[in-house]
Amino acid sequence: MQRSAGYEALRFGLILLFVALTLIPTLWMVSMAFKPIAEWSATGSDLTWWPKNPTWDNFAFIFGQSSSELIVSLDRTAGRPILASLLSASFGTVIAMVAGTTAAYGLSRFGSGANLPLALIQLRLFPPMAVMIPVMIMWAFLGLTDTWWGLALIYGIVTLPFAFWLMKTFFDDMPREIEDAALVEGCSRFRVFVKITLPMMRPALASSALFVFILNWSDYLIALLLTTRDWVTIPVYMASLSSSMTGQLYGAKAALGLIAAVPPVIMGIAIQKHLVRGLTFGALKE
Amino acid sequence: MNTIADITDTVQKTPADRPNDEGHLGLWLSLPAQLLVLFIAVFPILMQIYISLTDWSPLDGIGWWRAWELWNSFANYTDLAQDNRFWSALLRTLLVMVVCVPVEFLLGLGLAVLFVDEFPGRRFLYSVLLIPMMVVPAVAGYMFFMLFQSGGPINDILAFFVGQPVKIAWLSDPDLALIAVMVADIWQWTPLMFLILLAGLVGVPEDQQRAATLLGASWWRRFITIVLPRMKTIMIIALAIRVIENFKIFDTLFIMTGGGPGVATETISVYIYKVTQQELIWGYVAAIALAILITLSIVSAYAIRHVSSPEADT
Repeated sequence: MQRSAGYEALRFGLILLFVALTLIPTLWMVSMAFKPIAEWSATGSDLTWWPKNPTWDNFAFIFGQSSSELIVSLDRTAGRPILASLLSASFGTVIAMVAGTTAAYGLSRFGSGANLPLALIQLRLFPPMAVMIPVMIMWAFLGLTDTWWGLALIYGIVTLPFAFWLMKTFFDDMPREIEDAALVEGCSRFRVFVKITLPMMRPALASSALFVFILNWSDYLIALLLTTRDWVTIPVYMASLSSSMTGQLYGAKAALGLIAAVPPVIMGIAIQKHLVRGLTFGALKE
Repeated sequence: MNTIADITDTVQKTPADRPNDEGHLGLWLSLPAQLLVLFIAVFPILMQIYISLTDWSPLDGIGWWRAWELWNSFANYTDLAQDNRFWSALLRTLLVMVVCVPVEFLLGLGLAVLFVDEFPGRRFLYSVLLIPMMVVPAVAGYMFFMLFQSGGPINDILAFFVGQPVKIAWLSDPDLALIAVMVADIWQWTPLMFLILLAGLVGVPEDQQRAATLLGASWWRRFITIVLPRMKTIMIIALAIRVIENFKIFDTLFIMTGGGPGVATETISVYIYKVTQQELIWGYVAAIALAILITLSIVSAYAIRHVSSPEADT
């Protein structure tokens, strides 16, 4: 389609404006992560968009190296919260993917579990805050409070709708001829599912799992309510990074924020082409 | 292309015309998911109903199953009706929604229009523009907390345009704090609208548009009469997703302002969180939560029925 040069210039100008608005907040945190303490809260003419004396100190600090400039050292380093986030998000993903994939296959091929699509959408509809009281009581009763496995269980349930819907659309799209051929050969239905369908769906399983992992990794509210000390996750731990002497530990928080933000961004870009499908519960495919 | 109608189709149809032995395997396959749903839905909701009729608090030192000793019939619900803080939190949540969702929609649609045609660097810039929605919301909250400090970069940029130092205390002014949290939400979720709407725009077939161009229709006219009507379902899906998610708004907002100053940015989720953690009246929280669950169920049942009424597939 031909358009005037003026339109093209305007179009590119607007796109660049959007890109700038997208990146500026991110850049500020990236730059803060490498700023030495003297530049953390510099204002006015001292305010710098790029660290004057870039340093890795903030990263060293959250992993336990005491800082002479801050006079404080952390009694709890970021290592354990990172482990907590990794464990709970990963095992939550496993739970969601196992339950979601089997149920999606059951519905797609046998029509079983016909109540699940709507039930799972409703699960997604409700604010987590509105069901947390019974969950907190149950988790306390079962000894799951402040454990990574307790978090993993609730994450698995919360992201089950996405795993289910994503896998369902992938199964619906998959040609059945190969399965049928194997059935004729005399394989049992279950064997076909395990030996033929699942291996064929490996790319779909991988993208769905990454999608679900990003969602689990991003949680803040549930971890805030269900963990207290031993297994707090990155976002909960991050909020506690301040000291009475220096107030907000800007650089340290930014360094940890960067560590938390990078994996989902990379994963998200890797599964870009399935994002639309995942976010719209499979209603839209690209 | 699937649509909402398809979703409800799947929901309503119960295919029973399958051989029986396969049905068994099907049941086994859906068992884990069914158990998880039961585990998180049925029992907790019953427990919630029970507790919501009492004054029970975890500080009372009695187990929740003995909450009947603190029975107060429907006092929690009558209290709720008169709880001004609850109603203003609800109104504030809706205000945030009616501002953020349309702004995100329009920006996302505009951006999608800019991206429909190929240009050098399109794929790369597309990925860049999606970054905000992948940033952990709590981290995004912290980013905007820094940006909106009175000595922070946003005031610095404003100062550049005004020509003199700007010292706006964004997060400690009740009105500005609400604007700040809305800016953060718009920054983070415009990319989602962009992503979905672009997928929709790309899917609109070009033949009709080309025919209209030949007949001399302007770009704007083609957009309004041909493109937009074909995107109806997609636009509804995009809006529905953001309305649902925006209603839950918590992470970014709570980290930026903690609901404050005072209660100036207290939304429903923040309000419930505070009553849960600080005032610890869990009987009352259960009543609030149930009221919200019931309202949402009715609204969503109504919406699903009316939005997905059979109409032409896009």
